[in-house]
Amino acid sequence: MELTLQAKKPDSSTRWREYRPTKKTPWNLRRVVHLHRRSGFAATWTELQRDLQEGPQASIDRVLNGTTCENSFPEDFERMSATIAEAAVRSNQPDRLKAWWLFRMLFTTDPLTEKLTLLWHNHFATSNHKLEDLSLMRQQNDLFRSLARAPFGKLLTAVLHDPAMLLWLDAPSNHKGHPNENLARELMELFTLGIGHYNETDVKEAARALTGWTVIDDRFSFRASQHDAGQKTILNQRGAWNGEELVELLLDQRATPQRLAWRLCQQFLGEGVAQQEDISSLADGLQTHDLDIDWGTETILRSELFFADQNIRQRVAGPAEFIIGATRALELFDPPPQTIILADWMRQLGQDLFYPPNVGGWNGGRDWLRTSALISRANFATGLSRGQFSSNHQLPDWSRFTAKQGQSSIPEDFAAFLADLLFGGEPSPGWIEGIVKGVSTKSHSREVVLQQTIAAVLASPEAQLN
Amino acid sequence: MLTRRQFLNTSFQSTSILSLASSIPCFLTRSLQAAENKNHGRILVVIELSGGNDGLNTVVPFNDENYQKHRNTLHITKEKVLKLNSEIGLHPAMTGAAQLVEDGRLAIVQGVGYPNPNRSHFESMGIWQSAQSNPKAHGGYGWLGRALDQNSKQVHTFADAICLGNVDPPQALRGRQSIQSTIRSLAELQLDSHTPSSETKPDESTTDDLLQYVRRRSIDARATAARITKLKNASITKTRYPQNGLANRLKGIARLIRADLEPRVYYTVQAGYDTHINQEFDHYRRLSEFSGALSAFLNDLRDSQLDDRVLVLVFSEFGRRVAENDSQGTDHGTAGPVFLAGPSVKAGLHGATPDLADLVDGDLKMTIDFRRVYATVLSKWLDINPQTCLQGNFAAMDLMNS
Repeated sequence: MELTLQAKKPDSSTRWREYRPTKKTPWNLRRVVHLHRRSGFAATWTELQRDLQEGPQASIDRVLNGTTCENSFPEDFERMSATIAEAAVRSNQPDRLKAWWLFRMLFTTDPLTEKLTLLWHNHFATSNHKLEDLSLMRQQNDLFRSLARAPFGKLLTAVLHDPAMLLWLDAPSNHKGHPNENLARELMELFTLGIGHYNETDVKEAARALTGWTVIDDRFSFRASQHDAGQKTILNQRGAWNGEELVELLLDQRATPQRLAWRLCQQFLGEGVAQQEDISSLADGLQTHDLDIDWGTETILRSELFFADQNIRQRVAGPAEFIIGATRALELFDPPPQTIILADWMRQLGQDLFYPPNVGGWNGGRDWLRTSALISRANFATGLSRGQFSSNHQLPDWSRFTAKQGQSSIPEDFAAFLADLLFGGEPSPGWIEGIVKGVSTKSHSREVVLQQTIAAVLASPEAQLN
Repeated sequence: MLTRRQFLNTSFQSTSILSLASSIPCFLTRSLQAAENKNHGRILVVIELSGGNDGLNTVVPFNDENYQKHRNTLHITKEKVLKLNSEIGLHPAMTGAAQLVEDGRLAIVQGVGYPNPNRSHFESMGIWQSAQSNPKAHGGYGWLGRALDQNSKQVHTFADAICLGNVDPPQALRGRQSIQSTIRSLAELQLDSHTPSSETKPDESTTDDLLQYVRRRSIDARATAARITKLKNASITKTRYPQNGLANRLKGIARLIRADLEPRVYYTVQAGYDTHINQEFDHYRRLSEFSGALSAFLNDLRDSQLDDRVLVLVFSEFGRRVAENDSQGTDHGTAGPVFLAGPSVKAGLHGATPDLADLVDGDLKMTIDFRRVYATVLSKWLDINPQTCLQGNFAAMDLMNS
């Protein structure tokens, strides 16, 4: 008995081993859909078919090198993005900056990087509520994007020199003899070590080490006269610590890769999938790879654990995954939905971009399923199916959409196609039948039936999972 | 056969629906029974002051020379304070609250905290919400969630507790069986009329499977939507509320209470108390909003003759450090005041004022354990045995008129 138990105990070294299709874990539509929904914001039918044919290696390569999306933006995407961002900042309307980010999520060729940008916005949660400065919020967002897959030390150092972050956590008020602990505490509690790996004295001493770090003319600046150069004891080590040395010290602690590994698993794996041993094992790897986020991400996305049955559809889809995922999979690119409207739906679903609820960011997981958010998800599904968010307010031509994919628009077939497109197959027994039954008795024209089918599918409990 | 949609569109007041009880989810059965039960219980409304309210500048020991010494720029002068007695007064922005004390509707418990104070927002908030030193222990349930769990035989409308506002569901309301609903505003709770009906089957299994959890939440959400639609025409209040977020949320809660929704607990948050820098104006504004909103809420309920059913509990995760910092602000501290409001409280000051000459690391020593306040609310207001919820024996205080 004991032997069997031991044999069944997951071995973390093999669980991070590269996934190879087997009879039990074949490369099928379900796994292709899974790859795209977890690493990005869902794929179109053409992209799914392509990857199904070309196999895991090529498909994951494409995700990692940012060439997975076939629906590229007609003009120069980066130039268009910059234009939108600048106009948003000039207008001083936060909703327009949110719309800019959703434009990026919708049209990027590199969804993985946008997803990691969102992860860092959560990890280093900074709110425009306090800042009221869209220029700095945009600058921080670009920083998260450009270093999204960098070694963590590089990202952390840049974030700690980021004016939005420094103002958010009151660094300019942290003076020699009069420390303000805000930045020091969140640096230890949220950005690196996590609670339980430092004490109150460490926070106070770290605050002293960070004195003199400030913002002048919207730039990081060090004021030597404000810096406390005296002896400090941080994490049991005595020295005349300054800010840079403090960051190095924190990066060297075992708790930091541990927290990073947890954060990456929280992003890419389902509820309860990574065991403590898996996280520790990933943390070991991060430690030997200079805390390289790119390495960590690639390891997860290529792993057996990532493609294990227990990981598939075991995660609550976040607001961006739900909204952008539906829009991309249903190919609402021309005309696209107005992203300023999508941004407001993000808020209703519980993720108001640039306005995280507090310094800890969004909890995610089951917390996305609050009552008002679930009603909003149903209302979003209805609105999307009826073309209410598009700039021309025309009803989408769902018959043409199905014909384009070579699919039949008979209600049963359409529901089955949507199941393939969104879930890689019927998500639970009797699901297609339930969708068809809920719709057909109430509607008349073929188009209305298709609309209602889409609304019912997206509002179904199954569609809330990725 | 009645479809689910028709069912949800049918008034919950209708008794004939009860005959279908075996074919509908159990929480809806409870809702129907609730609609028939006119014997309403007492209600607790919790207001969370988020960020760590500066208790010392809320309930001010204006005559204490140590107070003036530690609060060089931020101290509130004798002339400005709203005096409660010769030593203690309220912040000048709190005229509404001062009036409530005078009317006999506001009790102030001073120096409330817990042993070994934690100055992390999340950890300390977790301790207050879970009433445990390790908030993650025992399933991460909250003190009110555990309390509501004990009354699972009670009948309810659509949830045991409602949180109103744009916040994550508070841990305080998280329970093993009890249902909490988080609502941003009443308007967001109505379904688009073009939304197809949901064929989600009620799931009677008790496993913690993720999909089954989503199904249960979806059914609950649709039931909530149907109920709120019915409230649209609920009577409109005559009381004038101030124009601010907290006041709007309390007005919404008053509407839900007036509409006989029957959860025993409502919860809302006023954020913005993390005053590390230039505190004076921000703190003034928050307290002014808080005090105005609270008194409008109680007056509104009094006008509707509902106020004797309502008790308001106001807390923050910690007070702030006694000495101000160099940015005309205050850093994270320890104990602070808790308010209880409503016609059933013993108005005025309770508990010992923390001694400003006897500090630990520059912070106040608590004089009342917060779980004693909880024990009072549970045993003397909600009629729930506090021992199980608080996992310890905490003596109730003499805060309520019997």
